[in-house]
Amino acid sequence: MDSTTIRHLQESIALLPMGDLAPVGEFYRRLFELAPEVRPLFKRDMDLQAKKFSDTLAWVIAHLERPHELCQQLRTLGARHSGFGVKIDQYAPVGSALIWMFQQTLGDRFTLEMEEAWVEFYAFASLEMERGSRELAPSGAHR
Amino acid sequence: MAVVNQHLDQALSSPLFRNAERQSRFLRFVVDAALQSPKATIKEFDIAIAVYNRRADYDPRTDPIVRVEAARLRARLREYYEAMPPDRMRIDIPKGRYVPEFIPVEGELAHVASDLSILVPLFRSLSPDPGDQNFCDGLTEEVIHKLAQDRRLRVITQSVAAWLEHREGPKPHYLLEASVRRAGAEIRLTLHLMELSGGGSMLFSNVYQATMDDIFATQERLAERVHGDLSAALHIDNEGSERIQ
Repeated sequence: MDSTTIRHLQESIALLPMGDLAPVGEFYRRLFELAPEVRPLFKRDMDLQAKKFSDTLAWVIAHLERPHELCQQLRTLGARHSGFGVKIDQYAPVGSALIWMFQQTLGDRFTLEMEEAWVEFYAFASLEMERGSRELAPSGAHR
Repeated sequence: MAVVNQHLDQALSSPLFRNAERQSRFLRFVVDAALQSPKATIKEFDIAIAVYNRRADYDPRTDPIVRVEAARLRARLREYYEAMPPDRMRIDIPKGRYVPEFIPVEGELAHVASDLSILVPLFRSLSPDPGDQNFCDGLTEEVIHKLAQDRRLRVITQSVAAWLEHREGPKPHYLLEASVRRAGAEIRLTLHLMELSGGGSMLFSNVYQATMDDIFATQERLAERVHGDLSAALHIDNEGSERIQ
């Protein structure tokens, strides 16, 4: 990732209302609308799930300039998701819902450059997660 | 056309694509469309309908699934070609469009692709401050990015190298090792290029000095100089590759 992409990612995250989980709630609502088949994968309390997602997103953005740590964490996350039953094809609606969350929450402040940065970052992050599921997940978990 | 279809079938049967059903359908859809009508444009809407089962009222502004998947597909293709260097052609989907290009790697290009593969592990920090490893990681990323933009080079990252160890096929030809020392704002990057197929003999070595004012700018400047020196050391010129129309 180049420095411009990192800057757009950091700036867009900084525009989200701090400590407010409503945007993440909207992200999940959109995800389940786009891909209802993933709803049964979420068995825990959705408020807890939203907090967990928000914390993970914040950690990832804080570590964009530490690629080694970032990749390791993404791979661990990918292996864990594979264990939960997440399939490769299900990464796509997550990316779409994530960008939709920024569009809905930030409106015109979410620029085309920011969207492009998130598309690029999500491609990178989701493929690292897939790699983690191949390398770290128990045999047979990666589908 | 037969060569392209054969290449496509080979790629889609690989582990990277086998479990990625939608991405495989995406790739096959755009390749088929380009083969049937080389001058046709392929629209985001068409892919959404054909591959992602979206309805006729699909609005790409509120559901950017095709843009997300196109970026993932480009990254998947890059990873595939790093692991399985093509011997005749490769498929490229340039950023900003969905029409694929079929790029030959025959003859001289195939020779270049097999000979100019460089393994680039993470650069090491030799400074006592553990935070300096972050600068090294960023610098490694910048150098990899710069080298990967050069189509004559095949850059292999540490993670892909670990995967390649367990596979048949050509191994990296060169190894680029580097370490960074820091004293205050002064940075010293020491670089060694070794020819692995030549028993690890040293082909090129250099020390670069820089002052760390803006971290990103420093990393970009150093990466630029490293790329220039490696091009000279490997005797590669600055001409681009041909494309099949």
